Order: sequence, then C-alpha cells, then structure tokens
Amino acid sequence: MTPARQRERGCRPWWLLAAVWLLAAVPVDGLAAELDEVLARGELVWAADQEGGGPHVYVDPEHPTRLIGFEVELAAMLAAEIGVKARFQQGQWDRLPLLLGRAADCVINGFESTPERARDWHCSRPYFAYALQLVARRDSALDSLDALAKEGPRGPWRVGVLTGSAAEIEMRRSTDLQVEVVGFDGTVDCLEQVRGRVIDAALMDDCIASFNADRFGELRGVGRSFAGGTYTILTAPETPRLSAAIDDALGRLITDGRLKALYDRWDLAGRQQMLLLRDAAEVPPAQRGSLADLIRGALPLLLRSAGMTILLSVASFPLAILIGLAVAVGRLHGPAWLRPFLSGYVELLRGTPLMLQLYALFFLLPKVGLALPAIVAAILGLAMNYSAYESEIYRAGLKAVPAGQFEAALALGMTKWQSLRHVLVPQAVRIVMPPVTSDFIALFKDTSVCSAITVIELTKRYSVLALSTGRIAELAIVTALLYLAMSWPLSLLSRWFERRLERRSERAPG
Amino acid sequence: MIEVDSLAAIRSGNRILDAVTLTVAEGTVTTLVGPSGGGKSTLLRCLNGLETFTEGRVTIAGHELGAGEHLPRALERVRRDVGMVFQGFNLFPHLSAIDNVTLAPRIVRGVPAPEARRRGLGLLERVGLSRFAEARPATLSGGQQQRVAIARSLAMEPRVMLFDEPTSALDPQMSAEVLDVIVELARGGQTMVVVTHDHSFARRAATQVVELVAGRVHRAGPAAEILGGAGG
Repeated sequence: MTPARQRERGCRPWWLLAAVWLLAAVPVDGLAAELDEVLARGELVWAADQEGGGPHVYVDPEHPTRLIGFEVELAAMLAAEIGVKARFQQGQWDRLPLLLGRAADCVINGFESTPERARDWHCSRPYFAYALQLVARRDSALDSLDALAKEGPRGPWRVGVLTGSAAEIEMRRSTDLQVEVVGFDGTVDCLEQVRGRVIDAALMDDCIASFNADRFGELRGVGRSFAGGTYTILTAPETPRLSAAIDDALGRLITDGRLKALYDRWDLAGRQQMLLLRDAAEVPPAQRGSLADLIRGALPLLLRSAGMTILLSVASFPLAILIGLAVAVGRLHGPAWLRPFLSGYVELLRGTPLMLQLYALFFLLPKVGLALPAIVAAILGLAMNYSAYESEIYRAGLKAVPAGQFEAALALGMTKWQSLRHVLVPQAVRIVMPPVTSDFIALFKDTSVCSAITVIELTKRYSVLALSTGRIAELAIVTALLYLAMSWPLSLLSRWFERRLERRSERAPG
Repeated sequence: MIEVDSLAAIRSGNRILDAVTLTVAEGTVTTLVGPSGGGKSTLLRCLNGLETFTEGRVTIAGHELGAGEHLPRALERVRRDVGMVFQGFNLFPHLSAIDNVTLAPRIVRGVPAPEARRRGLGLLERVGLSRFAEARPATLSGGQQQRVAIARSLAMEPRVMLFDEPTSALDPQMSAEVLDVIVELARGGQTMVVVTHDHSFARRAATQVVELVAGRVHRAGPAAEILGGAGG
C-alpha cells in the first residue's frame, strides 16, 4: 500500500462542521445575482441534487439525458412567470444553500421551512406540504409508531434518515423513543438498507416514500404520516427583489390553480390515501427494462462523465508533479527561510481532507473576491493536494541519489541548480517513477470527490443513474469497467516506461 | 600553480589538517601519501572547495580561497579550472559515456553540442574508450568507468587535475589501465595532485611526494627521497 492509497479521502463530520463554521464566519460579499441580472441573463439558475431522487428531481429512467420531477416543472413555471428560462445547477443536497450567490439564484429541492433557514436565507412562501412517513419491511415487528417507544428484538430500532432533513431533526428530538438514528446522503440508499435488513426502518417525507413504493414492494408504511411541514424556495438575503419576484410568481401559480394541476399530474395530491390502498393489497414489483436498454440509455452519459474524470486527472496531475518537484527541491536545496513554509504547505495539505480543500477553494475564495469556476477549483484542489504527496516522493527520490553525484556535478563547475536540473532530478525521476504512476491512478479515482463542488464526474453520474433507475448492481459493473478501461492502460503504460528505463540502464556497449 | 598556506581544518573539535603548507608547480605531479585518516582526501577536497577549512589560504590556478564558507560564484570559477576524479568514479548513471563527457562543457562553458561531442569522442579515444561512447556506465568495468571519469574531467580543460584515490576501488589490472592514462597525462604536462596508496605509481609519475600524518606534513620531497628506490 502506498501512502497515497492509505490516505483518508472521506468526509468526516467534524471537517464539515469546521467548513460550515468557516463559511458562516466569513461575511457574504454581495456576489448574488439580483433580479435585473437574472433578467439580463435570461436564465433563472436553480439548484437541486438529482441524486436526491423522485418525485422532486431525478433522471428520467426512460431517457437518462432528461431531468424530470415536480420541482423541475415548478422551476420552469416560475422562470416563465419571471420572464426567463430555467437552468438546472447540480449540487450536494445538504450544501445547496452554499451555492446561492455563487452558482445558483435559488434552491428548489424539498427544503423544509425551519427557523434556522429563515434566519440565514430568504425563504419563499410554502409551495408543498409534506408529512413524515415511517417505512419498514412488511415482515418487520415494527408495526406501529408506538412500537418505537419500546426496544425491538435486537435492541433500539435502527431508523435511517436523510442527513440534515426534517426527518432527522424529528428523530433526534424524540428522546423518548428507543431509536438509533442512522444518517444517509440519499433516501434510496436508506430504503435499500431497510430492504436488506441492515436497519429496521426509514423516516422520510411521505411523497418520497410513496414515490418509491413501487420499487420497494417489500416495504410498507408504518402508521400514519405525522409531524408535517412545508417546502420553501431559498434565495440569498442579498437579492430581495429576486426573492419577491419568486414569491409573487409562486403566489400566482397557487391562486390560478396551476400548482394544484402540477401536483395532480404528479399524483401528489392525496398521496396518503394511495399508500393506504397499496398497503391493503400486494403490489407487484415494477417491470424492469432490458439490460441492453439500460446500457444504451446510460452509456453515453457515463462516457461523457468519464471524459470529465479524464480531464480532471490529466489537467491536475502534471500540475501536481511540477508543484511537488518545486516544493521538494525547495525543501532540500532552497534558502533556509523558505523551508519551514514549504514544510507547512506539505503538512497542511497532507493533514486535511481533499474534500475540505475543495470546499475552501470553491466556497471560501469567493468570499474574498476570487470566484473560481467549479472545474478550475477541482483541478487546482486536486493538483495542490497531490502536490504535497508528490513532493514527499520526490524528496525521497532526491535523497536516494548518492551524494557523490552532486559532488561530481559541482566539481565539474556546475551551479547548484544546473546540478539539480541535469544530474539529480533526472535520476530522482527514474527512482520515483513507480510510486508516481501509482499516485496518478489514485488521483484518477479521487476525482470522484469533486462532485462535492458540483462537478459531475463518473462516480457521481453513476450514483445519480443508479438511484433513479434502481439498477445499482448493473450500472456499478458498467462504471467499474469504465474505470478499469481507463486505469488499466495507465498501469500498462507505467510498466512499459519502467521496463524501458531498466533496458536503457542495462543496454550493452556498442 | 597551487599554494597551500598554513591550512587547518577542524571537524567536531578534531584537527583533521594542521598547518599544512605546500607548493605545486605548474606541469608537475604531486602525490599525497600517508596512513588512512591522515588528512589526504580532506586536503584534496579543500583545494576545490568541496570542503571548507578553518584557517589558512589556498591559491589554485589563479583563484584564491580563504577560510570559512566560500561564495558559490567563487567556487564555480575555481571548479572550471580545477578538475576532480573520485575514488567511486561518480559517473552520471542516466547518461551514456559520451554524454557524461559532454554535459559540463555544454552547460557550463556553453560549447555547442556538436563541437562538445567531437571533442568528447576525442577524449574517449585518448583514454581508449571510443568504442564505448554510447554505453551506460553500469555496463562498463570499474577501470573503464574511471577512464570515462578522467575524460569527463579533462573535457573542461582544467589547469589542475585532482585525483582522490583513483585506483583503490579497482583490481590490479584495471588499476594499471587507469594509471597508464594518468601517467600519460603527466607526461603531457598536466598539473596534478594525486592521493594514492600506490607507491609504485608515485615513483613512476610524481615530481614530489608529500606524506601527511595526523593532518600534518610529515615529509615532502622527490619520490626517491621519500619512498626509497624500490617496493610498493
């Protein structure tokens, strides 16, 4: 295992808390687009997480290039009311509000009205009423909400919730329940865990529960829905006229009945009744399309996202090598005053998760007036993070070159930098070639972290498609094959390069 | 050509060199002999600034080095005129023999690549290795590598050549190959300082022999006087 593979890439909650705290601590600088700018642009950019799934925003399983959902239609209606077109912006659900004033004008994605949100953002009038629904396996001993008050057969009931949702708040607030709360990033993941008996139940908005009812025939609603609330559209506090325009547009949609017509089309009116009916009789699982159809539909999208993965890798790694080499040379041969700074750079980037660094580049820099496009932030973040590891590899490589080589170069009258460039670095490069190529393959896979800052690469695309189609295993195989198809040639190339270097050193005299 | 005046070098409180004074005339060969740890290699490395000294002064090929740290530019000037051949050869393993020879003239002296190559091939011919111009150091014998190292040093057209035990890592046959080259250089009037344990070489080529014991000049004079007439 190389150090690169051992490193922590995951997003730990305390880092997230630190990021949120940092973001809250830095004053917003008024980058948000006001109504006139939206009108001039001719587009209302609305943010949502398509991975969150239906019925809000999800990929059409029949036409994977198309986004559907009642919020997709709502956004289009609102934009039309304002006199512009709607443009979708992908983001990670619990961090969508951070895109306001940065990459989006508003967030429309099942955000419940809460006092905390009303304090930090402008919340529109409600556009949807929801209640919470507990869902469990049909054969579960959990047959009523009251049963949560007593421990289950295996101890406290394990109940899954969407992280940051009203369901999570509700569960954590109910201290009298014998419940262990398990957080998920997606509700479909959560339902899968219930189906697989990993957790006992899931608590979610009733519209999500009923939307997924067909796909999860083994599950049923437990008791009636409860503890309702409303969804609201979030806008930045710095855009009062845009907020008012959205509020007005929403008001018109409600009063002239267009919103109700939308919900009728989506079967979102009277959903509770539908659930009860479904529970009363066995519902056969939904028909699945053929594997060929699935691949035909999903492959172009996956390939396009694989292109993004390649772009991120080939753009960031050479940069990482250049920075890493400069840092290594600076630490070993640079002026004494520079070395502590370079050591600090390496330790900072090695000691903090890549995801936090990406957040800082994408979300924090705009607060000081430097707004980077997501793709640039992603490339820069990957390059900086990996440069720390590359610098350590190069430092080891440079130290592995015998001291006599440096002396011989100096004794020939070369300057220190000429010795480094023509004698030491070329030898170090040969020494470090295997770990560096391994790191390139590691970076290649680490590009998936960039989805946290709205860059949709292969893993994110897989995640979205898998959740919207339910073909988790089949698409996982296709995605894994795509990764393999990209990384295997890299491994072959690195082995070829190593063999070539070996042959050159062993070449017989002519 | 070389003036060493009252040189002292102290490392971790120990006097490695103490009041060393000697003169090397242009076109002569001086061998530094004496027991291991006597300070021969340290003295040689002080002559081209690979090591610093604590007291005294060195004048070499018209350049002066004082006690303490030397300025990088001063060292570069000295080293352009003073070549050095190491015990462990220190050839650059990633370069062919000819590239080892031509690298410094190209990047230090700015000699155009074709001209550097032409001269380099001539030097390899001179040390009997023109057939191995494209060979990597790892494919050459120890004696061949040391001869490439000598050619590499000669390529900078140094006014003084320093040899730090050039044959002690070699078997007798390979030593002889290398010594023949050095003797040939001596006959050509190259000013040289050679650290060696090989008394027969000293007798064969040295103008003067300086014996260093415990960091001090114990004896200095013609080879026959210092080493006697025969034996190794």
